[in-house]
Amino acid sequence: MTETVLETQGLTKYYGSTLALDHMNLQIPRGCICGFVGRNGAGKTTAIKLMLGLLRPTAGSSRLLGCDSQQLEPVIRQRIGYVTEGHRLFRWMSINELEKFQRAFFPKHELEKFQRAFFPKQWDDKFFADMIEYFGLPRKRKIKHLSNGERAQVSLALALVPNPELLIMDDPTLGLDAAIRRQFLEGMIELIMREGRTVLFSSHILGDVERVSDRIAVIDKGVLRANCSLEEFRAAVKKVVLSFADSTPADVDIDGLLHLRRSEKELELILVGTADEQIAEWAKSNRAQNHQIVQMNLEDQFIEYTAPANHRRLFRWEEK
Amino acid sequence: MALWIQISSGSGQPIYVQVAEQISEAIAKSELASGDKLPAVRKLASELVINPNTVARAYTRLEQAGLVTTKTGSGTYVSDPKLRKSDAADINILTERMDTLITRGLNLGLREQGK
Amino acid sequence: MRFSTLLRKELRESLPWMLLAAIIFLAIGGFSLRQVQLGGWYDWSERYFSSRPITETYGLQYRRSPLQIIGPVLLLTSIGLGLVLGVRHFWIPYFTRTWPFLIHRSVDRKTIFWAKLTAAIITFLISIGAVWAAFYSYSCDPERFAMMPIKRIFIEGWLFVLLGLVVYLGTALTALSTARWYTTKIFGLAFATVIIFATILEWRLGRAFAAIIIGAVILLSQNIDSISNREF
Repeated sequence: MTETVLETQGLTKYYGSTLALDHMNLQIPRGCICGFVGRNGAGKTTAIKLMLGLLRPTAGSSRLLGCDSQQLEPVIRQRIGYVTEGHRLFRWMSINELEKFQRAFFPKHELEKFQRAFFPKQWDDKFFADMIEYFGLPRKRKIKHLSNGERAQVSLALALVPNPELLIMDDPTLGLDAAIRRQFLEGMIELIMREGRTVLFSSHILGDVERVSDRIAVIDKGVLRANCSLEEFRAAVKKVVLSFADSTPADVDIDGLLHLRRSEKELELILVGTADEQIAEWAKSNRAQNHQIVQMNLEDQFIEYTAPANHRRLFRWEEK
Repeated sequence: MALWIQISSGSGQPIYVQVAEQISEAIAKSELASGDKLPAVRKLASELVINPNTVARAYTRLEQAGLVTTKTGSGTYVSDPKLRKSDAADINILTERMDTLITRGLNLGLREQGK
Repeated sequence: MRFSTLLRKELRESLPWMLLAAIIFLAIGGFSLRQVQLGGWYDWSERYFSSRPITETYGLQYRRSPLQIIGPVLLLTSIGLGLVLGVRHFWIPYFTRTWPFLIHRSVDRKTIFWAKLTAAIITFLISIGAVWAAFYSYSCDPERFAMMPIKRIFIEGWLFVLLGLVVYLGTALTALSTARWYTTKIFGLAFATVIIFATILEWRLGRAFAAIIIGAVILLSQNIDSISNREF
């Protein structure tokens, strides 16, 4: 089994003169859940479609399960689950018909010996039936009569039941309620606990990403700005508040400074990768009265990390 | 075994710390007695809907603090109070909790006063 | 198993149009045929066909053949079906955004195209071909019609069925093209139109068939190329 299930090298995509993805180098090791986060239009869907061979790169390459994305063989595609943006399915089909349709592409008798050893059953009728029953969906109902959330549930079942080695989900919980989002997370956890599975999912809900991801990839305006374990990211992005007796120092020359906010006697710094000792040292040498490293949640860290340089708050509360 | 853990994904505290702390509290409050078996990593991960590695890390942290011991092949058990490392370990976890409370306070109060 | 599943899906999606085309063709064609049966259409056809070289070759028989009247209906229905199926198979998936779901499958992209094409062929055969054959056998009855239909017209009808498929391929190519409308995107439809005119203006059967076959092959190869490389 390959150790890196997904890798891209210098993956670039231009739409005309617009740069959608800029030389992305991403590697995802087997067995992890990687959260792919970025603001709207940052390039997540473009990256995912490039990886799946649905788009052609302007430059660079990508490989899934050891196979070039642009020549993904059918037998490799069988091992990759994909939840498309918007959970688009054939509207005229009923859930039953969709199941029959999907199942035809994972015939049991075709599994290679290797696959059978690790993934004993590709399509599991009972699993699908259980999931649909759990969701409370009537099997004869057509997709066009399902709500967005219900369609997402069907989409999840269709992607999980074939027991994919690599599951790629493009913003699977967009616009869905908390209960269904939770079901997706449950599905991811369930999958990852089987031997050798990997999940890549893009999301706006940082809370969800924080919950289940081992790794995080942050993409900002087409550029991959972070690609590390979640723990590393969480530890690296820090907010430090320093208060001063007189006035804040004019020059703030600390390592890893990302953003800076000043008020009369206080400085708020966003730092990336700066050690606590360095911070303490700087505080001391600049005569700060005290300094506090404020704990941020992933959402705050993400917002600060992807904020533009001249970032300020939209609304300011002024004391009158 | 009634181990009730509440995960708050937006709290700022790493999830594995939350899990470790709540288990540690349960031990401190004798809700978990010595010799009790903690849920299997996968089972807890599935129940809490968090990554199994996160649970594993929490268990490791508790083990480092001497609150639990892992017997390979068998599971993770609450350790004998006599065998636990000195109170320093518990204090460690509790101190972090204090920090959390302080920073939460800071977040709520201090920030509002403008930049 | 995969191909048959894809084919079943495409056929099911083509079904409403299959029925619509069959009903339209049956209704209008049947109505016209009935009019011929009851008399009154010969003046028109004589006026239209009198100066054509085809009459010299086949004689009056051609002008007065009952099937003649349905020819235009068949042609238009066939072209219409070709357009509609082309849109249904290749354009609608853009609107419903179901292309990614369809393309990411354990089959070659070409197989997906073959399934669509096979479904289109079956649709044409059942809805137009079968009805045309039914009309032919209906008009073979000497008790109903004074003039017997000539085989040549029957064959011409199949030519029109093939033309419909050419239109289907042209529509597909236009739908699959990523270029702008005012550049090469229109090629598929434009080329199909050229083939249509080349065929119906050419009264020699052999050459007409040749034009269709060549046109179909060109469009087919372009389509295969397009679906293999297209971005979704």
